[in-house]
Amino acid sequence: MKKVLTILSLVMLFFAASAPIAAAQEAEEGGASAINPKEIIFEHLGDGYGWEVPFSHSHRIPLPVIVRDYEGGWHLFSSSRLMHGGEYEGFKIAEGGDYNGKVVGERPDGNGGMVQYRPLDLSITKNVAALIISALVVALMAFWLVGWYKRNGMKAPRKGLGAFEVTVAYIYDGVIKPTLGAKAKKFAPYLLTVFFFILTMNLLGLIVIFPGGANLTGNLAVTLVLSIFTFLLTNLFGTKHYWKDIFWPDVPWWLKVPVPMMPVIELFGIFTKPAALTVRLFANMMGGHMIVIVLTLLIFIFTAIGGLAIGGVTTVVSMLFSVFMLLIDTLVSFIQAYVFTMLSTLFISLAQAGGEHEEAVTEAK
Amino acid sequence: MELFTPELGLVFWMFVFFAILFFILAKFAWPYIIKSLEERGDMIDKGVLYAKNAKEQLDNAKVEAQKYVAEAQKQQADILRDAAKMKSQIIEEAKTAAQEEAKKVMDAAKLAIEQARKESELQFRNEVSSFALSIAEKMIKKNMEGDKAQAELVNKLLNEVENKN
Repeated sequence: MKKVLTILSLVMLFFAASAPIAAAQEAEEGGASAINPKEIIFEHLGDGYGWEVPFSHSHRIPLPVIVRDYEGGWHLFSSSRLMHGGEYEGFKIAEGGDYNGKVVGERPDGNGGMVQYRPLDLSITKNVAALIISALVVALMAFWLVGWYKRNGMKAPRKGLGAFEVTVAYIYDGVIKPTLGAKAKKFAPYLLTVFFFILTMNLLGLIVIFPGGANLTGNLAVTLVLSIFTFLLTNLFGTKHYWKDIFWPDVPWWLKVPVPMMPVIELFGIFTKPAALTVRLFANMMGGHMIVIVLTLLIFIFTAIGGLAIGGVTTVVSMLFSVFMLLIDTLVSFIQAYVFTMLSTLFISLAQAGGEHEEAVTEAK
Repeated sequence: MELFTPELGLVFWMFVFFAILFFILAKFAWPYIIKSLEERGDMIDKGVLYAKNAKEQLDNAKVEAQKYVAEAQKQQADILRDAAKMKSQIIEEAKTAAQEEAKKVMDAAKLAIEQARKESELQFRNEVSSFALSIAEKMIKKNMEGDKAQAELVNKLLNEVENKN
């Protein structure tokens, strides 16, 4: 095991050392303008129609493109047809403009000319594919554990499955049960799904090659959908007491009668809570990815500026920082999944708490 | 800025896949996992309680066993002491009984001897008296014939007596 690690580290070091050389070559070919950090960063943080493979800029794993044109017809084809500026069935990937990097089509503008438009795009992009992989991983883990219980009864699982079980118990007994109490069982499936889904997406995002590498939780669409689910669960299952507290809170009457100040603030609060969830997860994960990419890009930038020697030094320094940041990101991956779950639990319990109190009062009567 | 404008396609797929994952796991996985975890937790709690009770009982059993052993030892000592006492008593009794018996036998023997002696004395006396009588009778008869003859008779009778004895 130790030997394998040593060999692996040496191989990694070799590739790391070759980075400034590659950078120097690129700089020679295209001058200093060859590197556009902003473009590279956003390409890596953003979505794509293919999945990058290591050591190659030109090859990508093709993924299906599903688009609906302006006439309502559906098109399904491989993204490999659109690579390198290819055009297929009237669609191509836009370069520059409003739809940079997205699939666009052309339609008549009514004056005899053609105009670019964005079709309804339900393609299985890199992010969607990563989403499917994450969902499969979570489902696999959960059903693996279920299978274990069915096979082994009361025996506790060991090793990997044991770690998974411990995490389930940690979230259920540590977060969900103490906060939700008697209602824990009702909301636990949602909260556990959220936790493990986010955790899997976060951790897969840190792996740079194929099954990972997609910046999923650092994408606003993903975090938005997750917090919409929390928002729906919070408000759909909210008790009478919860709604009363929003529209008629226990504050002096002049705060709510002529001008409904408190109700407006409370109503606003309903929406700020999920918004905070969305942005927190998004910003944290995107930030982590961005720092690692920037640290890597520093090698290329410094090589372009100061040549191989400075580039070599920068390589060592930024590799060390990258490793350090990735370790931090591993921690952050867990913490952010935990925080999202914890806050969701809290929001749901806030919408439940009053009801229990009222029930207790009626029972007492 | 693509990053800050959620893409409709991704929102759609995220919604679909999350909903599918949630429904599948909520129906088939999480309740079962939570139930199993809780069952195992309960079982472990019960096991701990059981072990605690068992240990208590074991400790009690030890104390009780010691108590029983002590009691048994006391009883054993008592029994041994009683047995010793009984032994000496029996021996004593046997001795007395034997002495009494011996005495009785001796008494009976003495009595028998005495009786025999008396009988023999009586018999002797009777015989002596009968001899005396017969001697006297014969002497009286002889007396009629002469002194010499009388003396011979007496001698003869006496010889007879001697021979008889």
